[in-house]
Amino acid sequence: MTTDAIGRLPTERPRGKIEAVIVRTGAFFANILWGTPARAKITIKVATGFLILFVWQIGVALFAANFVAKPINIAKVFPSVLADPLFQQAAWNTLAAVFQGLAVALVAGTVVGIAMGRMKVFDRALNFYVNGLYTMPMIALLPLLTIWFGYSGDARMATIIFAAFFSIVINVRDGARSVPPEYLDVCKTYRAPARFVWFDITLFSSLPYLIAGFRLAAGRALVAAVIAEFFVSLNGVGMFVLSNARSFKHNEAVVGVVALVLFGLLFELTMNWITRRYFPWYRREGQSN
Amino acid sequence: MTKILALINSDRWAVRWGTIVLSLLAGGLLWESAGWSSNQAIMAPLIGGGDHPGTIPRLYKYLVHDEEYRLSLLQSVGLFTTGFSLALVAAIPLGIVMARFVTLRIALESYILVLYVTPMIALIPFIMSIFGFDFWPKVLVVYLFAFFPILYNTLEGARSVKPEMLEVAKSFRSSEIAIWRDILIPYTLPYALTGVRQAAGRALVGMVAAEFLLSTSGLGEELITASRNFDMAGVLATILVITCLGITFMRTAQAFEQKYAAWRGVNR
Repeated sequence: MTTDAIGRLPTERPRGKIEAVIVRTGAFFANILWGTPARAKITIKVATGFLILFVWQIGVALFAANFVAKPINIAKVFPSVLADPLFQQAAWNTLAAVFQGLAVALVAGTVVGIAMGRMKVFDRALNFYVNGLYTMPMIALLPLLTIWFGYSGDARMATIIFAAFFSIVINVRDGARSVPPEYLDVCKTYRAPARFVWFDITLFSSLPYLIAGFRLAAGRALVAAVIAEFFVSLNGVGMFVLSNARSFKHNEAVVGVVALVLFGLLFELTMNWITRRYFPWYRREGQSN
Repeated sequence: MTKILALINSDRWAVRWGTIVLSLLAGGLLWESAGWSSNQAIMAPLIGGGDHPGTIPRLYKYLVHDEEYRLSLLQSVGLFTTGFSLALVAAIPLGIVMARFVTLRIALESYILVLYVTPMIALIPFIMSIFGFDFWPKVLVVYLFAFFPILYNTLEGARSVKPEMLEVAKSFRSSEIAIWRDILIPYTLPYALTGVRQAAGRALVGMVAAEFLLSTSGLGEELITASRNFDMAGVLATILVITCLGITFMRTAQAFEQKYAAWRGVNR
């Protein structure tokens, strides 16, 4: 580049006021959108999101029947569905059932899992049943559970517990097995009372596994609740989606699905946060990002 | 007390197998007695006899003498295989492509995560009213259940491909084909196989759900018919068949995973 007599770069050519404002605001927004790699990432993600919604809207408008859900229509009905007391009742029913079932499965599953992990008798006696029932798709059991528990909320609860229990047992068992033997040796050497061995060593060091199992269990429990509601026609989010989809009110029905997804995501994020906040020493492959 | 504990927890051959056999016997006995002592519309015994038809004889009858039942079984397996292989063929290449094109990965990964946690079961009503009750809507259900676990895990693998590797490959002027063959595919495949195992379980749920909620067919139909007739032996026998199917699919996927993913060194 050419320089002037004392070695300075030639100054920019003088601009008009309006042009300068445009350039400056352009630079400002470019900085917000692309200024750092993190910002660029977010921009890409948001842009893709809009692209997906756009393609959805146009594609459905061109090729699908009129009742099929479109993003703009969903956004239109979204507030009214959220304010609808029927929907609130349904959401509350499902969530309450899922949480109750998860609580039962968590306590029972932890006890059984730790027993299986630490005492070989229980492992040998129950391994066959736990593995078999874990693999059994809970949906296949649904007809049986409705006959046993009637067409009522009990059937849903039983399905949720059944779906959640075994994944917790299996994970807690693996956790209890992987307690470092040195810790237990130290306990023995110092004649630590049993409650320390069980609660402070075994339970505590299997906690990360417990959380992993709990995450898995929560997903399965949500699916179980929805299937049970479909099958038994119970009031809940699943039924809300089903009845709206059947009466061709797809936009309303999608709101129900969104509620389910939000619940799943929220749960996942909370568990992630808990793991990072309270168990920073615990890193399982694939969970680090 | 401690002696007894030490004995029942010991690794002796007799103790180990004794415990297993005893527990199986106890479970069978419990099932049998529950079947005999309750109404036959509520529970069927394991072996049974007389006016309490048993589960095992029914299973034998279904699989050996019942032509229609075997057809149902084949129908279900066909549904599962079609949906699952379509998901496999679509998800794994997409995941590997995302390992190469980082921008594409960044753009899509959040949305894939969202779809991964979406309970696909909630989409069945939409599929029902948009696509109807044919064979292919059911395949779509199985496909949706299987696709996202595979894609999500393959994506996890794509994220684990070290950029240094690609840089080294680039500085040695490695050809594009070699990059794919020697870096991308070996790196992502183990993760993809973890996803395949996960997907096998989910797709089985999808299969039964599709057969329940869309046009009933296959094992789902057998299950529903039996439960509507309060034929508990039939219900339990079909549940056993579905579970065995599940175990077969999962074991196959697991065997693949262990064969090709052993070097990853983690057992998830």
